[in-house]
Amino acid sequence: MEKVLLKNMENPNSADINEYKKIGGYKNIPKAFEFQPKEIIEEVKLSGLRGRGGAGFPVAMKWTFASAYPNFPKYLLCNADEGEPGTFKDRPILEKNPHLLIEGMVISGYAIGAEYGYIYLRGEYPHAKDVLNKAIAQAYDNGLLGDNIFNKGVRFHLTVHQGAGAYICGEETALIESLEGDKGQPRIKPPFPVNVGAFSKPTVVNNVETLSNVPYIIEVGSEAYSKIGSQECPGPKLYCVSGHVEKPGVYELPMGTVLRDIIYMHCGGIKGGKRLKAVIPGGATTPILPAEKIDCPMDFVNMPKHGSMLGSGAIIVMDESVCLVKVCYRILKFLEHESCGKCTPCREGTGWLRSILGRIENGEGAEGDIDLLLSVSGNMAGKTFCPLGDGAASVTQNFIKHFRNEFEEHIKRAKCVMRNE
Amino acid sequence: MITININGKEIKLEKSVTVLEAAKAAGIKIPTLCWHEQLGQYGGCRLCLVEIEKIPKLQTACTLMVTEGMVIRTETEQTAEARRGMLEFLLINHPLDCPICDKAGECELQDLVEKYGAISGRFREKKRKIPESFADPLIVRNMERCVMCTRCVRMCEGVQGASAIGVIDRGGHSHIEPFSGGRYDCEYCGNCISVCPVGAIMSRMHKHSYRPWQVTGKTETICPYCGVGCTLVLQVRDNTIKRVIPRIGSPVNNGLLCSRGRFGYEFVGSKERLTTPLIRKNGVLEEATWEEAISLVANKLSDIKAKSGSDAIAGIASPRCTNEDNYVFQKFMRTTIGTNNIDSTARMGFAGAQAFMENIFGQGATANIISGLANSDTVLVVGGDPTTANPIFGLQVRACSRKGGNILTVGQMKGLEYFNPVKADPFLYTEEVLLEGIVTALIGKKGLPGANLTLEAKIKDINTSLDDVEKKCGVPAKELARFVDILAASATPALLIGKEIVQSSGASYKLLLLSAINYLANGRIYLLSERSNEQGLLDMGCAPDLLPGYRPVASAEFRKRYETLWDTKLNEKTGLTIFEMMDAASRGSLKALYVMGENPAFNLPNSSAAATALRNLEFLVVQDIFLTETAKLADVVLPALSWAEKDGTFTNMERRIQRVRKAVNRGGMEDWRIISDISKNMGVKLNYADTEKVFHEIAAVSPLHRNLTYEDIEDGHAIYPYKGEPLRDVMEEILTSKGKAARSTGKLYLRIERPLFHSGTLSTKAPALVKIYSRAVARISAETAASLSLDEGDIVRITTKAGAIELPVSIDKAADSSTVMLTNNFEGQGAYSLMEYTIDPVTKTPVLEGVEAKIVKMTGT
Ligand SMILES: Cc1cc2nc3c(=O)[nH]c(=O)nc-3n(C[C@H](O)[C@H](O)[C@H](O)COP(=O)(O)O)c2cc1C
Ligand code: SF4
Ligand code: SF4
Ligand code: SF4
Ligand code: SF4
Ligand code: FES
Repeated sequence: MEKVLLKNMENPNSADINEYKKIGGYKNIPKAFEFQPKEIIEEVKLSGLRGRGGAGFPVAMKWTFASAYPNFPKYLLCNADEGEPGTFKDRPILEKNPHLLIEGMVISGYAIGAEYGYIYLRGEYPHAKDVLNKAIAQAYDNGLLGDNIFNKGVRFHLTVHQGAGAYICGEETALIESLEGDKGQPRIKPPFPVNVGAFSKPTVVNNVETLSNVPYIIEVGSEAYSKIGSQECPGPKLYCVSGHVEKPGVYELPMGTVLRDIIYMHCGGIKGGKRLKAVIPGGATTPILPAEKIDCPMDFVNMPKHGSMLGSGAIIVMDESVCLVKVCYRILKFLEHESCGKCTPCREGTGWLRSILGRIENGEGAEGDIDLLLSVSGNMAGKTFCPLGDGAASVTQNFIKHFRNEFEEHIKRAKCVMRNE
Repeated sequence: MITININGKEIKLEKSVTVLEAAKAAGIKIPTLCWHEQLGQYGGCRLCLVEIEKIPKLQTACTLMVTEGMVIRTETEQTAEARRGMLEFLLINHPLDCPICDKAGECELQDLVEKYGAISGRFREKKRKIPESFADPLIVRNMERCVMCTRCVRMCEGVQGASAIGVIDRGGHSHIEPFSGGRYDCEYCGNCISVCPVGAIMSRMHKHSYRPWQVTGKTETICPYCGVGCTLVLQVRDNTIKRVIPRIGSPVNNGLLCSRGRFGYEFVGSKERLTTPLIRKNGVLEEATWEEAISLVANKLSDIKAKSGSDAIAGIASPRCTNEDNYVFQKFMRTTIGTNNIDSTARMGFAGAQAFMENIFGQGATANIISGLANSDTVLVVGGDPTTANPIFGLQVRACSRKGGNILTVGQMKGLEYFNPVKADPFLYTEEVLLEGIVTALIGKKGLPGANLTLEAKIKDINTSLDDVEKKCGVPAKELARFVDILAASATPALLIGKEIVQSSGASYKLLLLSAINYLANGRIYLLSERSNEQGLLDMGCAPDLLPGYRPVASAEFRKRYETLWDTKLNEKTGLTIFEMMDAASRGSLKALYVMGENPAFNLPNSSAAATALRNLEFLVVQDIFLTETAKLADVVLPALSWAEKDGTFTNMERRIQRVRKAVNRGGMEDWRIISDISKNMGVKLNYADTEKVFHEIAAVSPLHRNLTYEDIEDGHAIYPYKGEPLRDVMEEILTSKGKAARSTGKLYLRIERPLFHSGTLSTKAPALVKIYSRAVARISAETAASLSLDEGDIVRITTKAGAIELPVSIDKAADSSTVMLTNNFEGQGAYSLMEYTIDPVTKTPVLEGVEAKIVKMTGT
């Protein structure tokens, strides 16, 4: 498959505007400007593009809401917070292909009527910040950003805003709070950002990868685009694979590539020929899959049918040496640390779950602890303010669902059964 | 019309509201914790989860808006389980120290657990430990008890507008802390305490001193401090006020208080309170019986009246006493004594400003509803910061800004600094030119409406261009143009006038200019009032020229009416103002002065001269609750009851009459009763069975209070114009006198600081307020400090023509470099002792402008 998102990656100067232009970059902006904004939204709708940030929300629908809502100015925010453990798929675009994102944002901004854009960048990506700022400066110099882009009277300004390291600021409303200078905590919805978002104006929040798909849709048209990958949610997809595979990394593959193929065909199989134990397919908070359940097409529609979610497409592969109680504990420790504290069940529940898991892992588990874990996570599930807390409950429930034995062994033998002591 | 179904009950609603509100309207209670009726939505506690048909997840009732056909179930197995779960989460790290928590008995968490229960004993981990913080003298924080509802933070930021506290850290480490660290550096309104559902933020003042259920009395009364007239609920145990809280739904303050109202009550139980009458014998005040004291006063006053005539006697009424006290007092002066020499410190500004405005706009022109201010589209503030002079009123200005209204200020208003003010900040003492510029520009923009020709005749020739203003006041013409544009475009502007402008040179001319602005912009006027019953005492006729209800003494026709009602012959001579009394005392023509609840030796400008004048009197009676600087000079001191110990009424600055109610018992008499006893001893009966009977007479005598009863007041019907019509609408000639700019560059001028935490000297007898603001300081700018090589806390001597005092300096970056600011609250260190004054010929207010001061650093101290 022709690379769309990771094009020109081998070129050490890929982030330079001239290199980008050499491979046909920025020619989709004037092309897009030939169309009415509505027509572009329609084209994106026909392409079937769904958000790549995790939830898979249809992009054109979001854009329609924001463009139709009568209030100005409107804002386009690029979510580059990339905070979910295991996720590093946006990073190559940010660091090596920034002009693709800028081109995507200019076209998207034009489509929804936004004259201002912000890239909310993960605090721990200092290099990406430099690259983006340089690329934005080049784009301004080339008249690709500013008050009169391509002399078409189109206005779009772009600014990088760096986060301060909170995972929750990847959640779109917390992102907006943080951008505005407030504490990063999710907002009540409704009103949704498309109506009342950043600075109380209509706002679209899209993921880096999502926006980077847009120039290609303009280039080849929705019909050709929608032929890539799954029928239900087409397009190229970045999968970032980490853990016990021979060749970890970011892979651009058609949406819906089967998980087993990603691991065994593209990534060279399990490292050192060991046995696969489990995979977390879409970032730390998506449901874990045991080794025998990995024959699932990796897209937004099929993954739920197979008991998990596509999430961010961050595949964490674990071989037989891994202690899943410990992994579960680590994820809960992360979520406890990242809980914003706004709502009761997440603020109190994540810490409680973490400490029970910690006890079990340390051989201090008690009989009834597994039921307690399930009961506590049950009291959280579906009752938290935002998906972070829900994720904590679901991680716990799914680890126990598939690996209850391992938890029980830890308790029975009063020690970690995976450690060789 | 929206139809919904809650718990099987069909409910029709006019408009979409939250599920919680809809349920409430239907009488169905849904448990809440983070929701509070004074605050915006939050949705954090998750206690209000309810089932909605066709939505798989439980939803928070406090955030979800109802839609047509919604079917809601608030009490199901699922919701009960969810609530039990939430309560368990809240309790796992909670210390469960109810037996030693002051909140027990009125704790929302305790009540919820009682109702829904919580699974217990499953939490085997270590509880979060956070030591209770006693870093602040007034507010104690126990973060182990905090349920992180953020009600305190939302109150502080969204209602109080102080933004002094926040959620620090995140997740399970979240806790509430002042941004200043352990000790608060805030407005100390305590409104965060009011909204905390648990015992996490509490007042230290009553810590461990009582349980909510041990309160023996809850008395609803009115704040003794300022003219806003906030409703207070005094909670009493063992005849002692244990706590003061507001009430949601009360007319003026609706569940809010300021620091003075909430924390300033301890003076009531102060050991320094006067307990027995004192009589000066051989130069010293000695304890005496009531009989002795009363007959001495009666005899002395009778003698002096016989010897030197009625007009050799004068009385000073009290803006802290009730209407009833003040009414009886003026009646005593007018009938028993036979003089119109009665006045008060309202003469310091409020009385003159009100009379001026009422002359132009009619009586009641300043009686505008406080709670309506927030709905104005523009608020123009001149002459004083409402957030310190009248804090709860100040919140209305902040709310106005939050709602999108424009805030215009003449000068710096610290308390409005974060509320997006458009400022016109002229050089010191150049307001007159600035106001002329505004009037000129407004006339230019809007023209003269032709409604009030007398006023128009006075202003039509004013011609000061914005460039003139820029030259003389330093306010850029462009900025002032914007200021005027906003004012001109405004449909519902309000004009707030503070004391400072009324105490400046050319006060009457400035008031004319303000009237013109109000007239041209079609606004309404609010006069800031620093005392709880300043308005009331004027209504009661405690003025040398006006009888109760503002009937002029000079008019024979009106005198006649009162003569009939009071069965007496009235003195036709207009009496002395408070300043004239001081002059007459020093000249010797005034022989006796009866001071009720006022402290002229401290509260009048050039107070040391006032003290000298008082010493020159033949006979001085002071009736007070403390041995004030004035009382120390008296021949007879009569102990009075404080506001918490008696019944009566106060009239606030919007002319709302409200009931003051007795909360604690104390031996002694109400001020009016002492006075009627004296009167009886002088052979004139002023007999009333109780306070309400006094009010009956007021309602019969004062046309302003016609037929008003305590029942009307209790029903909230006592807002001007009460039952009658406004009285005096006839305009007299508008007299004005222009000021002279008294400023020269390079000099320092003394100005009054009016702190949020103090009011007169009364508040300095309230230890809590003293803990927040403990001493007088000389506030100077960083520039002044640098030029005099002064550091924070250095002792300086401030010298003016009138005297000198030594004080520590405090450096304020935002201060004006041409001024030194000093309060008039701490005895022996009042700014007024350094201020000589002249009197504005029209408003009769003191001119406190242009007081040059020198500051010298004291060494070796
Ligand atoms: C806890 C949490 C963290 C999230 N972090 C990210 C993130 O790092 N990057 C991202 O693009 N979306 C993240 N999201 C999803 C965003 O809320 C939002 O759905 C997304 O940015 C929308 O973009 P899309 O429509 O292009 O996918 C997160 C959501 C949650 C609940
Ligand atoms: S679930 Fe609640 S506490 Fe957790 S991150 Fe979301 S809002 Fe914050
Ligand atoms: S006392 Fe008032 S100003 Fe101070 S923190 Fe509480 S709410 Fe804020
Ligand atoms: S201190 Fe009280 S009001 Fe503030 S968050 Fe905690 S429980 Fe709520
Ligand atoms: S605003 Fe005035 S009346 Fe209200 S509590 Fe404060 S001092 Fe008392
Ligand atoms: S009251 Fe509704 S979430 Fe707290």
